[in-house]
Amino acid sequence: MQKLLSILFLFVSFQALAGDDPKLLVRELNKKFNQISDYKADLFMEFNIPGVKMKNLKGKVVFKKPNKFKIKAKGIFFLPKQNPMQNMSEMLIDTNSYTSIISGYEIVEGKNCAIVNIIPLKAQDELILGKFWIDIKNPLVYKSQITTKNNGTIETKSIYGSNLKYALPDKIIVKVEINKVKVPKMMSVDLNKKSKPKTGIESKETGSIQLNFSNYTINAHLKDAEFVD
Amino acid sequence: MSLAIQLKNVSKHFGDFVAVNDLSFEVQQGDIYGFLGPNGSGKSTTLRMIMGLIKNTQGEINLFGKSLNTNRSAIMREVGCIIEKPDFYNYLTALENLQLFARANQLNFKKADFEQLLERVGLLGREKDKVKTYSHGMKQRLGLAQLLIHNPSLIILDEPNTGLDPQGIIDLRNLILSLNKEEGKTILFSSHILSEVQEMCSSMIVINKGKTIAQGKVDELLSHEKIHVKLEVIEVEKTSQLINQSNWNELFDKMEENVFVMNMSKDKIPELVAFLTHSGVGIERIDYRNQLEEYFLKITNQ
Amino acid sequence: MKEFIAILKNEIIKTIKRPRSFIGFGIIAFICLMLQSAFYHDGKEILSFVTGQLENVFNVEGKVLNGNLICFIVLQTLIVQMPLLVALVTGDLVSGETANGTIRFLLTRPASRTKIVLAKWIAGLFYTLLLLIVLGFFALFVSHWIFGDGDLMALNSEGLTIISADDITWRWGYAFLIAFLSLSVVASLANMLSCIMDNSITPIVTVMAIIIVFTIIGMFDLPSFDIIKPFLFTTHMISWKSLFEDPIPFHDIWFSIAVLIVHIVLFISISIFYFNRKDINS
Repeated sequence: MQKLLSILFLFVSFQALAGDDPKLLVRELNKKFNQISDYKADLFMEFNIPGVKMKNLKGKVVFKKPNKFKIKAKGIFFLPKQNPMQNMSEMLIDTNSYTSIISGYEIVEGKNCAIVNIIPLKAQDELILGKFWIDIKNPLVYKSQITTKNNGTIETKSIYGSNLKYALPDKIIVKVEINKVKVPKMMSVDLNKKSKPKTGIESKETGSIQLNFSNYTINAHLKDAEFVD
Repeated sequence: MSLAIQLKNVSKHFGDFVAVNDLSFEVQQGDIYGFLGPNGSGKSTTLRMIMGLIKNTQGEINLFGKSLNTNRSAIMREVGCIIEKPDFYNYLTALENLQLFARANQLNFKKADFEQLLERVGLLGREKDKVKTYSHGMKQRLGLAQLLIHNPSLIILDEPNTGLDPQGIIDLRNLILSLNKEEGKTILFSSHILSEVQEMCSSMIVINKGKTIAQGKVDELLSHEKIHVKLEVIEVEKTSQLINQSNWNELFDKMEENVFVMNMSKDKIPELVAFLTHSGVGIERIDYRNQLEEYFLKITNQ
Repeated sequence: MKEFIAILKNEIIKTIKRPRSFIGFGIIAFICLMLQSAFYHDGKEILSFVTGQLENVFNVEGKVLNGNLICFIVLQTLIVQMPLLVALVTGDLVSGETANGTIRFLLTRPASRTKIVLAKWIAGLFYTLLLLIVLGFFALFVSHWIFGDGDLMALNSEGLTIISADDITWRWGYAFLIAFLSLSVVASLANMLSCIMDNSITPIVTVMAIIIVFTIIGMFDLPSFDIIKPFLFTTHMISWKSLFEDPIPFHDIWFSIAVLIVHIVLFISISIFYFNRKDINS
């Protein structure tokens, strides 16, 4: 009983400790990332971009440490300038390059998440602010909001399945704010389309790309040839 | 003899303008028929109506006893024409043009047929040249080839001598006569030159301002007419007295300055000359106009 | 029928042997090669004009600059020029013969005027088809040879539609058919004006003027113009582009096809009616 209580105490105290300490949360998360030397998975991409109509696309994703990452698919597709799969681990791994603070807590996907803010130490860094919603029980990023100098803000939501151990999601939904793509009529020559009344100020619209991963093969010693077109 | 062409009370109005007014005439098969009139008299309009290029406003046009309105296709197989001038596809060769003409007439021409036709009009050896390189005379000859390609029994020619040199005119006249005499083809041709009609035609119609002035056999039309004899004398007073006091007074028409104009037949000229010279009148010049020309100029008030 | 085939053969021979017929082929080849050359050297810069809005946020992956896109752009660019080329030849088919006098020969042969107008009209359509075949060769085959295959990023005023390379061949087939139908309207209009007018320049200039005015009306996004746009045949000439939308607005396409066919029937009927009553004074 005493043993059981001590285990329970240790667990609770870790929870309390981890819940308060962003570095500890990130370290736990990085541990998961560090287990991966490479992976390969099937990918199914669903696009919902304002002003762009396209079919969903099948492909493959391959990753190899330190920073080889490639999505292989036939045809034209769009990927966020900030690659959520790659950026998250790269951003968090060098703990000396940023300051992290917890700005609050929020329930995401039924998980009690700490909102960890990452602020780079160097002003010349591309990153302005990174916000990660990390489950304090089992440190995994369920939501992120990354603001960079050149590429604006991108928001992701991750849903995990069988690869919790490696912090590899089954689904990532990337949300972006974008001006609806419009082609000038002089260029599109759409004589058969009726004009639409102008609404005045053109507001940004939200688009999303959903990346569904399946059939992960982890640490299978991927060859570099996998990353060549 | 059956009729090749029959026009009954044919009129053509262009808006308020009456180009042809109640015209009727008949061309017998085997005839060379002259269609005479000054420029703008309605000749071309009439020929174009006969060929179906212009629709008649009133009247009836029959060819070979059939109405042009209801039998145009069958009639046109029997008719060849050159209206105004022969025109060709200048970017094609003469042979290519003839091939088009043969096909338009549904003729199954072989190479030898084309060669025979080209030889007849004197263009064999030049058939592969583009028509745009042809001289006016060569185009006229190609026009004849186009005209004859389907061996029509009726040939309609609108002012065929226009633009031809004297030799060309002679050649064409000989060809028309030979087509009529040797091959029995009926020929209708228009002209504003009397001598052409006089020399070739057996019958004629003369029109002016769209109206018929006279028509019939050329010989018959002329036999009713007296010629104008113009007598230029030195002593006008004396001559005037002599004529007034004699039977010649009945034939006197008018004075044109010092010229006496007499209305009389050609064979009385020696008698008149004898009368005046015996009376001591010196004759400077005696002149009489071509019969048909005189007639034509008279009736058309030219 | 035999007679009609004979005169049709004559009309086709005349049409394809005319020097001006080759101007159209030359212009199409020139425009295609010029656009291909421009895209070969500066394609990415030209494309960024359209994809720039996306490239702020996304990386555009895959081969955007491919044979399908170039063909699409060429077809879109030539929507104004092609009718002019069609009119250049078809606007002269009857009036050209009236002007140089050969019409007298044609109309004094056994074939009826209706058959002659129809033969000339079909010869005009045949030339239009040849123009499209030349266009298809340069725009589609040469572009594929230079730029390769790939998904089509189709541009329309609503934005972009990405069409998979596997799903595009049939669309090109139908697009060229609709383009042929559209240009047939132009050929029929030119033929009609050619029957009415006696010189070869006026029908061509009139067709060009009609197309330019109608196209400008179509280009302006003014609600007041929307009322008249459905009645302008130029509005429906671009309906081939609808095959590159997702989902394909089949209802709109069928409506456009119907409008184009009605125009063709109307123009050819007027041509036959007028030509049968026309006096040949030339």
